[in-house]
Amino acid sequence: MSEIVAAYLPEFIIILFIIFNLTASLFFSTYLYKLSKWVTLLGIVLAMASTLYLQPETYAFNNTFLSNFYTLFFKILILMGGFFLTLLSRNMIREKRDRAFEYFSVFLSGILFAMCALSAVDFVGLFVSLEALGLSCYLLLSLNKNPNAKQLTFGYLVQGAVVSALFLTGLSLIYGMCAQFDFEQIGLFLVNSMHSGSQPQVLLTFSLILMICTFLFKLGLAPFSSWLPDTFEGASYPIGAYMSTIPVLACFGILSRILMIFLNYTFTMKIVLAFVAVITIIFGSLSAIRQENLKRLMAYSMSVQSGIMLLGLCVFTTYSLSSVLFYLFCYLFANIGAWSAIILLYNSAKLEKLEDLKGIIYHRPYYVIAFTVVLIALAGLAPTCGFVAKLYIFSAVARSGFIFLPFLIIAMLGCVIMIYAYWRIIRAMFRRIETDIEIDTHVISSKFILYGCALSTVAICLIADRLIQFCQLVAYYM
Amino acid sequence: MNFLSLIWLIFAPIVVSLIIMFPRFPNHQVKVRRFAKWFAGLHFIYALLFLAFFDTSMFGMSYEKELTFFGMSWLKSLGISAKFAVDGIALLMVVLTTFIVLITLFMSKIHIRSKHKLYYSMVFLLESAILGIFCAKDMFLFFIFWELSLIPVYFLISQWGNSEARRAAIKFTLVSFAANMFLFFGMLILYYYNFAVSNVLTANIESLNMDEKIYPVWFQVTVFVNFLIGFLVRVPFVPFHNWYADVQSKSAAPVNIMLSGVLLNTGVYGLIRFNMQVFPEIFKMFAPVLMVWGIANIIYAGALSIVQPGIKKIVSYAHISSMGFVMTGLACLNSTGFNGAVFMSIACAVVFSALFVIISSVQFRTKTTYITALGGIGQVMPKCMYFALIICFSAIGVPFLMMFTPKLMVLTGAMLSNLEQQLMVKVAAFIGLVAIVVSAGYIMYFFYKVFCSVLLEQWKKVKDLSPQETAVLSALCLIIIYFGVYPMSIIQIYQSVSSIILDVIQV
Repeated sequence: MSEIVAAYLPEFIIILFIIFNLTASLFFSTYLYKLSKWVTLLGIVLAMASTLYLQPETYAFNNTFLSNFYTLFFKILILMGGFFLTLLSRNMIREKRDRAFEYFSVFLSGILFAMCALSAVDFVGLFVSLEALGLSCYLLLSLNKNPNAKQLTFGYLVQGAVVSALFLTGLSLIYGMCAQFDFEQIGLFLVNSMHSGSQPQVLLTFSLILMICTFLFKLGLAPFSSWLPDTFEGASYPIGAYMSTIPVLACFGILSRILMIFLNYTFTMKIVLAFVAVITIIFGSLSAIRQENLKRLMAYSMSVQSGIMLLGLCVFTTYSLSSVLFYLFCYLFANIGAWSAIILLYNSAKLEKLEDLKGIIYHRPYYVIAFTVVLIALAGLAPTCGFVAKLYIFSAVARSGFIFLPFLIIAMLGCVIMIYAYWRIIRAMFRRIETDIEIDTHVISSKFILYGCALSTVAICLIADRLIQFCQLVAYYM
Repeated sequence: MNFLSLIWLIFAPIVVSLIIMFPRFPNHQVKVRRFAKWFAGLHFIYALLFLAFFDTSMFGMSYEKELTFFGMSWLKSLGISAKFAVDGIALLMVVLTTFIVLITLFMSKIHIRSKHKLYYSMVFLLESAILGIFCAKDMFLFFIFWELSLIPVYFLISQWGNSEARRAAIKFTLVSFAANMFLFFGMLILYYYNFAVSNVLTANIESLNMDEKIYPVWFQVTVFVNFLIGFLVRVPFVPFHNWYADVQSKSAAPVNIMLSGVLLNTGVYGLIRFNMQVFPEIFKMFAPVLMVWGIANIIYAGALSIVQPGIKKIVSYAHISSMGFVMTGLACLNSTGFNGAVFMSIACAVVFSALFVIISSVQFRTKTTYITALGGIGQVMPKCMYFALIICFSAIGVPFLMMFTPKLMVLTGAMLSNLEQQLMVKVAAFIGLVAIVVSAGYIMYFFYKVFCSVLLEQWKKVKDLSPQETAVLSALCLIIIYFGVYPMSIIQIYQSVSSIILDVIQV
């Protein structure tokens, strides 16, 4: 029991609150709907607080659940994201008062399975958690009233099913090779087989590619990025923010664990991943500059940002891993800040097109400045954390050998194109056309998140040194 | 001198820019302008104090200061720190920048009719970025300020220019971003190669060039060319010059003064700081090419200048052409040429800003900049004509005016230089002498067409300069005459620095 407490406490608290939300949905469905938000916030805060009681390097459930410094880092990031996203869900639960408790139980279960997937030490636990995370995403996506939404999000469901099948195929091939599910045991097998010279290189690479398709799909990387814009357009706004935060954080955490086992044995895989990253960056940025819908633009933005992180990850040194961790940290704030600005815009005046933004500077200067700061952070320009993060990740790539230099150049080109995509939003806001848009200033929670994120992106840039050292420590513990 | 802190000098304009942008700040144009002028004046005096207490005999950087956050230096684990320091060249550029900003603010009253708060905050943001470029001791800090300077320039061009200004601003931004990519890529590979060779992760400019033997030649050439492209776009230099005349002809008059006075010097400074100091060997290798390139720039841009229909374009191409002297002087690799080149870049900034001040007065009164629509204005604006005469003579290179000494020094330096390919260099230097005649051609064409030919009917009621414009132009003309008569007062400030740079190159 004590080991469960030592390793599993945050998840356990989240489970309790999921059960509470589900039970509450039976009894007070339409009235007291506001309670659901505060209960969920309480759950997330308690789960965050409980991480203080965790002990490092503990296993639970018969050595299938690992809790260490590395998983803790990601869990805290996910819980922070969950905290912000709960606050952003205000209008979502207002529109569907009868579903508020159900919404938050699914919402929390997504967070729960993201955390479980991070702690998994074998492929079975990993697969189950990832599927459950996917299921929560499907459920959340289906909550939109818009009649087109079902059609738009259907692609996500179908592709998700296909890549799950691919993952299982790859997994069965790996199992056929090693007769093991456990990460460490597979690693040992690979070391032994390399020493004895009997390593099935082609099969290994092939099965790894099959498995990685799941992550490419969830992160919106090429060639599985086709679902992104449609699904985001069909999703409600908070769900869009959710989809671009929680799965991204979880998938990078897991992907680096999987790559750690395999990547030393297949050099081809590094090149394949670098190709994927670069193609994603170029394709995503070129598509992003043509978008008129803010949600579609943010979808491509997520795709490009994941591409940059994958480029950092595929090099796979401790240094590059720490750079990816730092980038994720910055991405969390910048992305949620941008989404909260967009949500604020939609909730107050139902604005969702780029041209609707014209002339906002005259009505809400603070809002525009904060939105500009988070966009600059996403674009990776100077006085924000985005610059430091991009510098760090590119330097990690440049440091790891001349083979990756061509990829680096193309990626930087893509980033410049992406800067233009973000610049279009900023330019639209600064247009001198007079409009009569009124942004609702009563939504305190969204404003709080927007200003908080804008401030923290600048603050992270200033104290970046300490955070980088922390990320290096975390990467070392992995 | 404890009260002289470079951090205050650099970051005070940013703070003022934020104060002006702050929505509670009164949106009343007189109040905003008065506040901006007072600040710019005090800031200029503060910058002058740096010059007053500067030790000209000191070799190396002075006024060194590090920006720390809660006692920690910035990004120490990546070898990047927020350190600022100036040497003689940088200090001159800093003082010049603050002076030009002051001039710009004096000339802004009549031309800026809308969005005052945005305008003044952007001017100060640009000032801060430019000062940061000159003072940064760290490569990436330099780059951050370099990028930061693009944002205010974009707004300054697009928001207050004519109807085509937005397009020109986008062109400038795209060209600069493309050039910055080269720059950033060069910096990254330099940073990592240095780490791989010396095992010290650092982006400090001084420690990158400490031991120049450690890099192989191909690597140095790659990085050198990256830096060269990045800086030559900003200078601007002939294959990359297109944006400058475009931007200048479409933006508002005070913005012209600002851009010609402060923006181009950053490119020259980058050439000296990176291409000459970090890669002396390669600079020596490239020097004959650069010298011929510089001369070609003088001739080509000068020829373009003569055929332009607008006075702003004529003066911008004249500016581009004069920047060719800077490159020629740097490529001489002797102290005469180098000192002349640095002096030339400062003289260019002063003289061409002064020319743009003249243009702004003319444009304000006639509402046109087409040379065919202007003529004989000297009869109704005699004061303006006499000021313009002094400035135009200075731009040609008449003795005892500011641009005479640097041109003479550059061409003497080119003649005396002992580079390889002696014949080519000597021929180039001789052609450079001829180029002075070209410059006389376009400047006097400009002067004659605007001020001297037959007075057109519609300009007969044009009024002469206002007291404020007279004051600004007198200040500029005094500077031009003073440094024309007594050039050593500028040269002695950076003489020791130039001797260090040249010592390294001639090893």
